[in-house]
Amino acid sequence: MLRELVIRGFVCPSAPKFVLHALYLSLALGCSIDAARRADRAFVVAISHDPGHLNPAITTNGGVNTAAGLLYDGLLRLDESLTPTPALATRWETLDGGARHRFHLRRDVRWHDGRPFTAADVEFTFEQVLLKFHSRTRASLGPALVDVVALDDSTVEFRFRRPYAPLLQQLDVVEAPIIPRHVYVGSDPLRNPANRHPVGTGPYKFVSYQSSGEIRYAANRDYFRGAPSVDTAILRVVPDPATQVAALEAGEVDWMFSVPGPERERLRHHPTVRLLQSPLGAGGNNCITTLGFNLDRATFRDLRVRKAIAHAVNRPQIVERVLFGEGRAADAPISSRIGFAYAADLPIPAFDTLRAAALLDAAGWRRSGSGTRTARGVRGVRDGTPFVVGLTVLPSQSNYAELLRAQLRAVGIDLRVGSLEQAVFAQTVFTERDFDTAIGAYCNGTDPEIGVRRMLVSSSIAPVPFSNMAGYRSASVDSLFELAASALDPAQRRLYYRSMQEIVVADQPYVWLAETLGTRAYNSRCSGFGASSHFLATASCTR
Amino acid sequence: MSGRFIMGRLLQVVPTVAGILLVSFLLVHLAPGDPVTALAGEHGDAGYYAEMRERFGLDLPLPQQLATYALRVAGGDLGFSYVQGRTAAAVIAERVPATLLLTGTALLLAIACAIPLGAIAGRRPHGVRDVGISALALGFYSAPVFWIAQLAILFGAVRLGIAPVQGMQSAGSNAQGLERLLDVARHLALPAMVLASQEIATLVRLTRSGVIDELSRDHVRTARSKGASELGVLVRHALPRGLLPSVTVIGARAGHLIAGAAIVEIVFGWPGTGRLLFTSLQTRDTPVLLGIFLFVAFAVVLVNLVTDLVHAAIDPRVRLG
Repeated sequence: MLRELVIRGFVCPSAPKFVLHALYLSLALGCSIDAARRADRAFVVAISHDPGHLNPAITTNGGVNTAAGLLYDGLLRLDESLTPTPALATRWETLDGGARHRFHLRRDVRWHDGRPFTAADVEFTFEQVLLKFHSRTRASLGPALVDVVALDDSTVEFRFRRPYAPLLQQLDVVEAPIIPRHVYVGSDPLRNPANRHPVGTGPYKFVSYQSSGEIRYAANRDYFRGAPSVDTAILRVVPDPATQVAALEAGEVDWMFSVPGPERERLRHHPTVRLLQSPLGAGGNNCITTLGFNLDRATFRDLRVRKAIAHAVNRPQIVERVLFGEGRAADAPISSRIGFAYAADLPIPAFDTLRAAALLDAAGWRRSGSGTRTARGVRGVRDGTPFVVGLTVLPSQSNYAELLRAQLRAVGIDLRVGSLEQAVFAQTVFTERDFDTAIGAYCNGTDPEIGVRRMLVSSSIAPVPFSNMAGYRSASVDSLFELAASALDPAQRRLYYRSMQEIVVADQPYVWLAETLGTRAYNSRCSGFGASSHFLATASCTR
Repeated sequence: MSGRFIMGRLLQVVPTVAGILLVSFLLVHLAPGDPVTALAGEHGDAGYYAEMRERFGLDLPLPQQLATYALRVAGGDLGFSYVQGRTAAAVIAERVPATLLLTGTALLLAIACAIPLGAIAGRRPHGVRDVGISALALGFYSAPVFWIAQLAILFGAVRLGIAPVQGMQSAGSNAQGLERLLDVARHLALPAMVLASQEIATLVRLTRSGVIDELSRDHVRTARSKGASELGVLVRHALPRGLLPSVTVIGARAGHLIAGAAIVEIVFGWPGTGRLLFTSLQTRDTPVLLGIFLFVAFAVVLVNLVTDLVHAAIDPRVRLG
């Protein structure tokens, strides 16, 4: 009450004595809180990185996709079960046995600057931008595609060298956002100033990009799927997740994308905070945290050793202790979220330390007492060498590493954990291949072609982050992926993926640890969020 | 203080900064990690990598890259940010004011608190006040800054609600003039105090020992025997000379503050160069990274120059020698 009096009557801008402003600065600090409360409340989204620009067509950077998703649309949308549904395209057909895919576009869509959206925008976006600068679309779609042609203003056709089954899974706003031709034509898309003053077709329009890193959006009143109910969205860069949580509790922030495990319990009981789980997230959907063996190393060429480690890993315990129960013990190489390709009943090694010990004994790694095993008659390893295995991880995965270390110690394997920052991890593991075992969060994406193929086919043993980490080669797996990619019949595709998974599980180049979920948190004054990049388009807030 | 003294010092700036830049360039390029893989993320193909390397000139041999870079920097061009697609100078420039505001406030706050506290503590070594102040200073000195920052957020912002948790201004605020000033001040309070707490600790301890030293000297005895009051002795005779080591350290810390504000900037979501440095390091955005090194190098060298000048003003021996 006293503070209120001081603020309103004494120190607020009506007060004439500027000296007092300085003297009572600390008390007057409440002033602008009131100002903010009086104004219409904007929806404040905490983001972890300053994206730098807002053009998701030129990068696969998760930060840019998270920040810019609301501004754009894809030709299609994917619902929770990853089924393609209309967005910029209303209907589509497959012609000539999959050699051509034709999309019929909406005629009532306008860019945020008022110009009409046409098939020329789609042709330009794919030919000049996505296939050059969006590394994921370029690497997956590029080799199969001949060209993308606008047949008339509202029809666009994709022409392929060979049938390409995953196409419909790769046309949503994350994989293929459509950007305006009239803004980008004739420019270098990487340096076009519009990247920081973007024009899209999405549910929100760009307003400003403050030098402080604050990004402001306003609802697109003419959005073709209906105007969003929340008028203003503000994206704030808050790099530290603990600070995001604090800001959410204090009501400064209305939404955060990823709540750290230990904070979830606390937030669950917070009166004004709600939690929302989602396997979807910009830049990383349906992720499986995976342990990879470096098959170039003599120790791991022995299948018995790989199987033993798979038996020694207690996956339910990982879900409980590392993921705090929010996730699922992985039981197949393909995520259970990709329903059409997932195989439920594969012979994944169960947690069984006795079986693990027997396999290690058979492989020549003998143990006396409860210490570390030593080699006796292991090919390529000198007798008496202790079973010390390096585990290379990203700092964000050190919790997995610590638990694995404890689990493998129980069977006599001494795991030495080395934590490397992202850029160094990529170079050490994928370029130099200087590691024994490593953990990667392999996001499967919306189709095995996007996120699973890269870790298993021999052609992706390459200096590319999160490619074929194990260095696994199997001619049958390679050809099954080829067959699956060009099989237009879903049932046939499913069979190919099933056979592929059976081979891979038998060969065990990886141990699939856990399917992870993202936990979003939001202020309870709002509700109705969607799961996609357009999460805010369907939401509504009180006050 | 002669003009030659200042000129001589200014002339040293160029080779110093050039040396720092050369070492940073080599360190950044020889360290593992590749900007193009960072840019492509998980899904690049060989063609994409090759095109991007060529585009950014990363396919050239290192000496040639260095020569190109040095020529451009000499002409005042820091190059294009790989990540943001605008000039590195623009990316850095918009962050500099926030950092200067934060570190400047923290340093002033630290000086304003530390010198009186140090003097009080030094007046009666091992007295109640000294023990209290020294223990507090030692506590802040040994506590990691991210932890103090978290505590400040939990208690100051979330529990008591006296200041906001993060940012430099209220979300969506279009305030101008005084209202804006107050809004920024409110956001500045916690991070500046946290940053200052670390500096206060060092300065208090230095001022204290300086004052203790001086109080036992002949000139102080003379001042007392002239009948000067205890406060006068402390403020006019002991403190100025006792501050000499502190001035040197303040200069050295100013550089440290600009680089070391990174953690505070990250925890409080403060949009400064420290946070930019951290993200640029993660993405190997070399032009921005080197630009920040250049900025910090200049800042440190200039602050050292100012320190020397202040030192010369307080201590005649420096001027004459």
